[in-house]
Amino acid sequence: MNQRVPAVSAAPAAAPALSWWRLFTSTDHKSIGLTYMGVAAVFLVLGGLEALVMRLQLAVPNNHLLVGEAYNRFLTMHGTTMIFFVLLPLLLGFTNYLLPLQIGARDMAFPRLNAFSLWLLVGGGLLLYLSPFTGSPSQGWFSYAPLSETAFTPQRGVDLWSVALIVSGYGTTLTAVNILVTGARLRAQGMLYRRLPMFAWMAWVNGFIILFALPCLTAVLMMLEVDRLLGAGLFTRGDPVLWQHYFWLFGHPEIYLLILPAWGIISEIIPVFSRKPIFGYEFVAWSSVAIAFLSFAVYAHHMFAVGLGWPVDLAFGTTSMLIAIPTGIKVFNWLATMWKGSVRYTLPMLYAAAFIVQFTFGGVSGVTFAVVPIDWQLTDTYYVVAHFHYVLFGGSLFAVLAGLHYYYPKFTGRFLDERLGRWGFWLNVIGFNGVFLVQHLLGLMGMPRRVYTYPALSGWEALNLFSTVSGFVLGVGLLVLLVNLWRSRTHGAVAGPDPWNGWTLEWLSSSPPRRENFVALPPLHSRRPLWDLKHPDDMDHVRPPRHDRQGRPIRDEEREHR
Amino acid sequence: MPNDRASRTHLGMLAFLASDTVIFLLLVVSNVYLRRTEDHGGQTLLDPAHMLIFSVLLWGSSAVLVLAERQRERRDPRGAGALYLVTALLGAAFAVAQGLEWSHLMARGGTVSASLFFATFYTTTGLHGLHVLLGLPMLVGLSVLSFRGLIGRRAPGVAAAALYWHFVDAVWLALYLVFYVWRGP
Ligand code: HEM
Ligand SMILES: [Cu+2]
Repeated sequence: MNQRVPAVSAAPAAAPALSWWRLFTSTDHKSIGLTYMGVAAVFLVLGGLEALVMRLQLAVPNNHLLVGEAYNRFLTMHGTTMIFFVLLPLLLGFTNYLLPLQIGARDMAFPRLNAFSLWLLVGGGLLLYLSPFTGSPSQGWFSYAPLSETAFTPQRGVDLWSVALIVSGYGTTLTAVNILVTGARLRAQGMLYRRLPMFAWMAWVNGFIILFALPCLTAVLMMLEVDRLLGAGLFTRGDPVLWQHYFWLFGHPEIYLLILPAWGIISEIIPVFSRKPIFGYEFVAWSSVAIAFLSFAVYAHHMFAVGLGWPVDLAFGTTSMLIAIPTGIKVFNWLATMWKGSVRYTLPMLYAAAFIVQFTFGGVSGVTFAVVPIDWQLTDTYYVVAHFHYVLFGGSLFAVLAGLHYYYPKFTGRFLDERLGRWGFWLNVIGFNGVFLVQHLLGLMGMPRRVYTYPALSGWEALNLFSTVSGFVLGVGLLVLLVNLWRSRTHGAVAGPDPWNGWTLEWLSSSPPRRENFVALPPLHSRRPLWDLKHPDDMDHVRPPRHDRQGRPIRDEEREHR
Repeated sequence: MPNDRASRTHLGMLAFLASDTVIFLLLVVSNVYLRRTEDHGGQTLLDPAHMLIFSVLLWGSSAVLVLAERQRERRDPRGAGALYLVTALLGAAFAVAQGLEWSHLMARGGTVSASLFFATFYTTTGLHGLHVLLGLPMLVGLSVLSFRGLIGRRAPGVAAAALYWHFVDAVWLALYLVFYVWRGP
């Protein structure tokens, strides 16, 4: 092993046959990864429709489409769906697909456990969507006690909601076990931790976040059910704030759990399309570890309005500010990677650029919340809604879309259609910013969130209508994307194993990769094994520094494009 | 890497148990914390001395399991199989004792909704009991496999299962101390 590199055939891969039987029984990490993404797509349509119905209700003041409790039901299902059954499976899908490929492994450490995890998550999603038959949950995805107690939300759907999250949560925890052991034990010879591709590194760190964050949710949901089914009163006679502590001890890391792999995807794409190795590899890697720790230390910034007392508020305000530092510097690392690079705006790179802008925006509005008095002023307004959609949608989901365009050739052997792709991109960018940018203003004007209607105040009407109309633009954009994903599977241009001239191991395998991923691996001496392969006279580990003493621009060969 | 499969399964179990620990930790903390918000006289219903007898059965099962593992490494499948079975029986005895304890408590008014102390008591010990119940078929399975000579000297899955059982016993030690022995803040 590790000597000869096989020539991978660039012949068009046979159109992947959709075999349902294989889909349900496969333990191959690639098949499981794609299934995660397919499941997420279904839930994206559901959660997206729910969002659009809510936006329709909010299009004009005093509307009667979705009143009171009905609005709350859509709100709850939308939030829960998007967080647990869209973003999470998308990112787990990428992790499952890419982690073994990037570290030169055949499969995950426990393939059968992997399949089990997937079906636990799917089962959870089914339970969630059975809940409308027993009275939809309407307590919000945060499920604050005592609102979520039987006294206020008696319908059985809340219990199904809890069970759905416990079941899918166990699936995710087991996936984390798999990710951690895979990263720790299955790296190919020479694939040291300090040579891991950026995505693999972040996905692995993410395993730790999942491992310690999700049990907090499981524990608190069990307590809620003891209250609801057995009348214990932990959060009523006991302490309702206890719910918030435990919930956010899970909930805040959850947000990082949804962004870390997204950062990983971005950190793969930007170097390749800038033709430069990532700037500050060590920092990008280690700051993820710092963030993983910090993410647990900041959770109570969701509780400034609860009345914890100023020493607590101050402590958590400070840690929240701290987390902006590693995050902010990551952004600078990406920018520095593009700086003086030879940047090519392919579709993946376009999405990555949109990600940087939107994520930074969401990050900055996040920092404003760390200032406790500002948080008091803005909490429960649309400013918050705008903020977290900028992070979750403008950040995580855009990164995933970037990743989909980047890795689609690997998944299927074919490119996504360029024209449709550009249409989708612009519709998504314009639609997304149109929906949520104006909500910052609405929030500053005091429009409360989680309320199904609003009075006809000047300014509110126009902005809300604008937001709703943009929502439909976004909807069309996502639809275009889905059509593209489906059509290009058989109609796209043939891509070959390494369409982007990449540097990491996944581009060594055929597209789509064979069952066992690799025939043989090249020697791994640096972070960019494929660069070394392609430039035997200028390998990373033997080359001089990239800048000369006069700081002249980067070397010519880094300007290469296919 | 000859050692890889062993360490892989072991590591996986370790990771899972780390995650599990968080659940138990939060449940125990909720007990400790909620004791402050309400008079928890209910704790006097618990009899530490009585429960100690059954706890010793559970802890003893861990010791027996260590012996079983030793027999397995010495290539004595029948001896190991017998000891796995004893481990399971001790565990089962504990589970039955806990069931009796629960019904005894409820009969005397210590129900889930009686007090916050009992609510968290049942949640936590219930989750622990569930862990015991999941461990039992595992141990019986080990015993059967061992008797049939299907377990080798190096058996990563078996070692991971043993780790799980030791973990369950260790958790019980913590729970026993917090619920039965410690009288609260
Ligand atoms: C990845 C995509 C998305 C994620 C992760 C997401 C997540 C969430 C979450 C967690 C909530 C809070 C729910 C609650 O308070 O229980 C929410 C609310 C909401 N979302 Fe989204 N969402 C996404 C996309 C969208 C889109 C595309 C739209 C509009 C077209 C949208 C419109 C809304 C609306 C109107 C609310 C209700 C706000 C309120 O009344 O407080 N969301 N979303
Ligand atoms: Cu937070």
